[in-house]
Amino acid sequence: MTAESPPNGRIRVWDLPTRLSHWTLVSLFGVCWWTADSDRMQWHRIAGYGVLGAVLFRLAWGFCGGQTARFGDFVRGPAATFRYARKLFGRRGAGAPVPLGHNPLGALSILVMLALLLTQATLGLFAVNVDGFGSGPFAKWVSFETGRRFAHLHAANFQLLLLLIGLHLTAIGFYRFARKEKLLAAMIHGSKPHAPPGEAPYFVPGWRAVWLAAGIFIFVALLLNLR
Amino acid sequence: MRFTAIRNGAGRRPMLLIGALLAIAMAGSAGAAGLPQIVHARQAHFKALGRAAKSLRDQIGRSHPDWSLVASEASRIQHLASALPSWFPAGSGKGHGVKTRAGAAIWARPHEFARAAQTLLNRAQNVTRAAASHDPRALALGSRALGQSCGGCHRRFRARSSWW
Repeated sequence: MTAESPPNGRIRVWDLPTRLSHWTLVSLFGVCWWTADSDRMQWHRIAGYGVLGAVLFRLAWGFCGGQTARFGDFVRGPAATFRYARKLFGRRGAGAPVPLGHNPLGALSILVMLALLLTQATLGLFAVNVDGFGSGPFAKWVSFETGRRFAHLHAANFQLLLLLIGLHLTAIGFYRFARKEKLLAAMIHGSKPHAPPGEAPYFVPGWRAVWLAAGIFIFVALLLNLR
Repeated sequence: MRFTAIRNGAGRRPMLLIGALLAIAMAGSAGAAGLPQIVHARQAHFKALGRAAKSLRDQIGRSHPDWSLVASEASRIQHLASALPSWFPAGSGKGHGVKTRAGAAIWARPHEFARAAQTLLNRAQNVTRAAASHDPRALALGSRALGQSCGGCHRRFRARSSWW
């Protein structure tokens, strides 16, 4: 993937794999929610496998993707995160530096979000539905009662996910209206308007994402013994 | 005179009447207090159904299914499925002051519910036959259909647990 050059005065921030994995997770989360709510476990299971794959992809992409996608680039220690938060909410306001990619608080949210999603997918693998039929692929290793316990944890973790997603959307609204940063648009088209000279992040060739996605697909298929 | 009347049984009639009235009143209140028991028993039945279904399902796809286990679980499912309509006496659903997800549609559309229960029973019988003939393919197809009838009924008649 040669870096498509964004329009004048804009700078490319998010590469396509990062954006795709984000929106894949958003849509699969919706599918999972709806299929679980309406007892369509056949589809819920398939969408759940998709979530597992997308989370694994994003985790791996955090080590070999473009600069702004890398955990090493945006995950900061507690002191730096606290400094950022103090400046963000401080009385002098707007004093917080605007990082090109994720800010330290956003980084924290990403780590928790990915951890919750991975937990959710893993719990789902062992969960047993009320009818004993719509169960995860690993449910055969546990008893009906244990599987039901997994399902209840799955439901409780879902509430945590809803909370975090609510926080995520609130934060996007806060940046949009209080800090005039259009995070949503940036996650759609991948670029941000401000471009301090000499601050362009590096990106990696797109075939890397294709190979990674293929590898993760095979890994998930083998893990679940799909045919 | 009065004492002999009581002793020889003629005077016991009012006592019997009071006793009978008391018994009816207690039975009536037991009926009201019985609602949680009905719901609890129903949940226990459905858990038994789910447990048997999971146990049966775990055997599917194995190269050597435990056919005697499959047969016993299949007959358990069939037995429970044939009793299922009796677990839903009128007034034992959601909105009667007891925590249950038995939707109002069960009593609003009784014929549809009866038909769904009959479908479940038919499919359970198919699974029993497949288990008896040791046919893994028929077992897989049959239990898949059985599972779909569980989900189909839950979709139409089971209230959502969501809090929003």
